[in-house]
Amino acid sequence: MQAEQQQYNYDVVKWFAYMAVIYLVIGTGIGVMIASQLAWPVMNFDNPYISFGRLRPLHTNVVIFAFGGSTLMATAFYVVQRTSGVRIWSDKMAWFTFWGWNLVMLGAVITLPLGLTQSKEYAELEWPLDILIAVVWLAFTINFIMTLTTRKVSHIYVANWFFLAMMIMITYLHVINSLAIPVELWKSYSIFSGVQDAMIQWWYGHNAVGFFLTAGFLGIMYYFVPKQANRPIYSYRLSVIHFWALVFGYVWLGAHHLQYTALPDWTGSLGAAISLAMIIPSWGGALNGLFTLSGAWDKLRTDYILRFLIVSLAFYAMATFEGPIMSSKTVNALSHYTDWTIGHVHSGALGWVAMVSIGALYHMVERMYGTKMYSVKLVNLHFWMATIGTAIYITAMWVAGIMQGLMWRAYDEYGNLAYTFVESVVQMHPYYVMRTFGGLIFFLGAVVMLFNVTVTIRRAKANPSPEMATAANI
Amino acid sequence: MSKLAEYFHTDWANMTATDWFGLLLTIVIFILMFGMYFWALRPKNKEKLESHRTMPLHDDETEAENKDGR
Repeated sequence: MQAEQQQYNYDVVKWFAYMAVIYLVIGTGIGVMIASQLAWPVMNFDNPYISFGRLRPLHTNVVIFAFGGSTLMATAFYVVQRTSGVRIWSDKMAWFTFWGWNLVMLGAVITLPLGLTQSKEYAELEWPLDILIAVVWLAFTINFIMTLTTRKVSHIYVANWFFLAMMIMITYLHVINSLAIPVELWKSYSIFSGVQDAMIQWWYGHNAVGFFLTAGFLGIMYYFVPKQANRPIYSYRLSVIHFWALVFGYVWLGAHHLQYTALPDWTGSLGAAISLAMIIPSWGGALNGLFTLSGAWDKLRTDYILRFLIVSLAFYAMATFEGPIMSSKTVNALSHYTDWTIGHVHSGALGWVAMVSIGALYHMVERMYGTKMYSVKLVNLHFWMATIGTAIYITAMWVAGIMQGLMWRAYDEYGNLAYTFVESVVQMHPYYVMRTFGGLIFFLGAVVMLFNVTVTIRRAKANPSPEMATAANI
Repeated sequence: MSKLAEYFHTDWANMTATDWFGLLLTIVIFILMFGMYFWALRPKNKEKLESHRTMPLHDDETEAENKDGR
């Protein structure tokens, strides 16, 4: 009985992990759809429910919160149990988190195509769903903290610090940014207005990137890279510096989204200055992960899961260099409002967040089911599809964005604009087609992953190995 | 007044209680941040901190202990 009580809860982790793979397919599939709508507007089919304006927030909600959130919840529950040596504090609360989070996502799938939105970027869901998110997120956070308090080892491993920072900050950000006055069941108005609304929105928006899409996934990196490589992290001290610099620094950056607006000039400058300073800890963290393989780079030849994890760090380094450069006023004058921003976001989202998630998900499936992936060749195929798809996508957007920026600010000898806006739109067509193609390759890679994971799980259940029997009892 | 001094000019007399609170909080947070860097980089703490590097590699042992109910 005592042994049973001490077993880990992998059931909820397994479900979160499998749902993450499903949401990856759905989210990238919607992404391909809206990319094709930009390339060929006829793809809107004159149907408001599947028009770009309604599907775009659905795409961002599914990839960030459904796929990213499910991955974070799976990995956080997995890592905190293993590094604390105890079962999760409350099974009921963990299952409440699972069903509650999926209910939120079901709400998003229904309400966003209906046009029910708060019109806040990355926080579009209306107030009843916002309240549900807050309740579910708090259950997740409390369960995580209580598991830490019951741990059997004295030190809390650094991956858990990153997960905890994410939980605390996202609670704060979500509640403040979502403050609104409801007028109907599915309509509310933000309590902020004008430039304050813009500032709160981007304080939330960039910290959603910083704490949800960076801190949480760094927690994944600090556990799964050493574990998959079977080598200790290069420097624990560097991970501590990385953590505190990220936590102290990230909250200042939001204003760099609002350069050349009604916001006081100094706030944008401050945001840009701290953004540039953030290159140091970000690269320190990326190098910490990469150097973990020092002396064992040959593992990349044969370990395809490790490839996902390591390539994600290269994209993390690239995106965290590009972001600060784009935040500086000189570059921002060219890049803002162009597709360069979309390219930057996707080098982080596809290259960093999705790749590190995919690596962690493959790792967990093998460990939790006590088996190897059904097809290593398909994992390899997925790796190349994800890498090539991402490269095509971001290259297309870089070229398109820089071209847009240059066309918009070109003047003739009389001081008139050299190009109309429509002329710049026409020039985008080949790049939008190229972006759709890159996204399609990435999406098909996700389908390959879903097939491979599903078959692996089915085979493991049909023919349980001794390792699986052990894992199932843990 | 130089351009730089003009840029950083502050009307101290018009600072509100909120402004002072924000300023002091910012300074305290920066001190804490640098204190944290000092603590992490202090040679005395190196061995203790680096001893945690291998934690994820040992969690299988913890798992085995749990299986035995120990």
